[in-house]
Amino acid sequence: MIDSLLFDIPKLLGYQFFQYALLGGMIAALATSWVGLFLVLRREAMIGDGIAHTAFGGIALGLLLGIHPLITALLVSILAVFGISYMRKKGLAKSDAAIAVMLSLGFSSGLIIISIAGGFNVEIFSYLFGSILTIDQTDLIIVSVLGVASLCFFGIFYKELLAITFDEESAKVTGIPVGLFSFGFNLLVASTIALSIKVIGVILVVALMVLPGLAALQLKRSFKGTMLATIVFSIMSVIIGIFLSAIYNVATSGVIVFTAAGIFLLAVVYRRFV
Amino acid sequence: MQKKIVLEIQHVDIVRSKDLVVEDASFSIEQGDYVGVVGPNGGGKTTLLLAILGFLPIKKGSIQLFSQNINTFSSWERIAYVSQGATYFDSNFPLTVQELVSLGRIQRTNIGRPLKKIDWEAVDESLQLMDIQDLASKRIGTLSGGQKQRAFIAKALVRNPEILILDEPVAGIDATSLENFYKQLSDLNQQKNLTILIVSHDLSAVFCRMTKLLCVNKKVYLSDITKESDPNVILKKVYGEHFHFVFHKHECKGDFHHD
Repeated sequence: MIDSLLFDIPKLLGYQFFQYALLGGMIAALATSWVGLFLVLRREAMIGDGIAHTAFGGIALGLLLGIHPLITALLVSILAVFGISYMRKKGLAKSDAAIAVMLSLGFSSGLIIISIAGGFNVEIFSYLFGSILTIDQTDLIIVSVLGVASLCFFGIFYKELLAITFDEESAKVTGIPVGLFSFGFNLLVASTIALSIKVIGVILVVALMVLPGLAALQLKRSFKGTMLATIVFSIMSVIIGIFLSAIYNVATSGVIVFTAAGIFLLAVVYRRFV
Repeated sequence: MQKKIVLEIQHVDIVRSKDLVVEDASFSIEQGDYVGVVGPNGGGKTTLLLAILGFLPIKKGSIQLFSQNINTFSSWERIAYVSQGATYFDSNFPLTVQELVSLGRIQRTNIGRPLKKIDWEAVDESLQLMDIQDLASKRIGTLSGGQKQRAFIAKALVRNPEILILDEPVAGIDATSLENFYKQLSDLNQQKNLTILIVSHDLSAVFCRMTKLLCVNKKVYLSDITKESDPNVILKKVYGEHFHFVFHKHECKGDFHHD
């Protein structure tokens, strides 16, 4: 059994679909890891979940109109970010309630569109639960563009995001435009979710955003050390998940989440006993 | 020689949730003043500081920082602020003391740019100034109350500010650390000519070490603290006629600021 598995790995690496899956998965892991750690530290993990579910409406709209679903998912996610910010700013709802409103609106609009179109169940299923092994060249280009944009934002504004996340009031005094950065960050959350949909699906994307960061926090390192550990854990989760799912022929997104959860548990054990 | 006025407030009213919290406040602070901000809880001390920092709008009057109206003032790097809740952070937040202090070097002019060598040198200097260089690589969540306090002051000072504003920074600190903390602030005030505004309930420390007293209880009164000052006369204005504060200058342990 083991021999045959080891034999399969070089064979798997030779397939183009597998190479695309690995590359797309690693870009998504890289982008989701830093966004996810900040979401955990800002105690806003549910914004990620809310925006991801809202994106479902965008996917359905894309399939109906014949536009690439990741693009419409991105646009609808951005609209959701605007909606949540507007409701919070105008005092119409607190953060959690605003997320609940956008989540349910996005998801129900997806359901309505599906019923109007009268189908595309298989395609919608692949976006709900991810379909990393079917990533094609166009998907890879979209994922790469969004991933590079996300990483550039983080690379350039890393210290400002950290300052705002740690102490917003103090960051304001230093002259950082806190409102603008928070809004920009939420847009990045939206685009990171859009690029991760193909990898892990809208239902489970929040797990890939949150689990690696939570695992890294158990190690009790500096911020730089924690960020590095988050990125490593995220990429490990995706790579191990893809290999295991390909070898055992089980749902990739599920295995990725289980791998990330396994790493988290190991980190908890490390924290308790080391 | 007349000292430079760094903060001037004229006829300021501040309203919060429809309540008039500060009424017709007028006073000016000069460079190098060490000002104790005192008053009962809910009297408007924090509200006044937040308005000075531009976080709260004023209903009436004007606030000038370095002779510039607060509405057009943009040199916020000249002012450092440690908030009331600064040390009440998530103890699991992954930040070392050095990383915390480095956040103080962020300014409008270096947004989007990495910190330079000169910034890291300033971080080291600030750590040394507050005598916490040994704690540089420690996570802030593991520090004691006094150490946290010094780390946050180091973060505030790393920008070389001209005004340092501290809102009740001594909660939960033991008496010895408290004494050292006030001594360090006195040294900074005298050596660097740093203007300090500090909200404090420690009236002995205020009268021993500070040069001015800002009493806030909706109305605002500024008084000089001199050898001849009678604390009770000043404090009754905000705490009421029945207030009595027993204060002996010998309590200052030879550190009376005005000797």
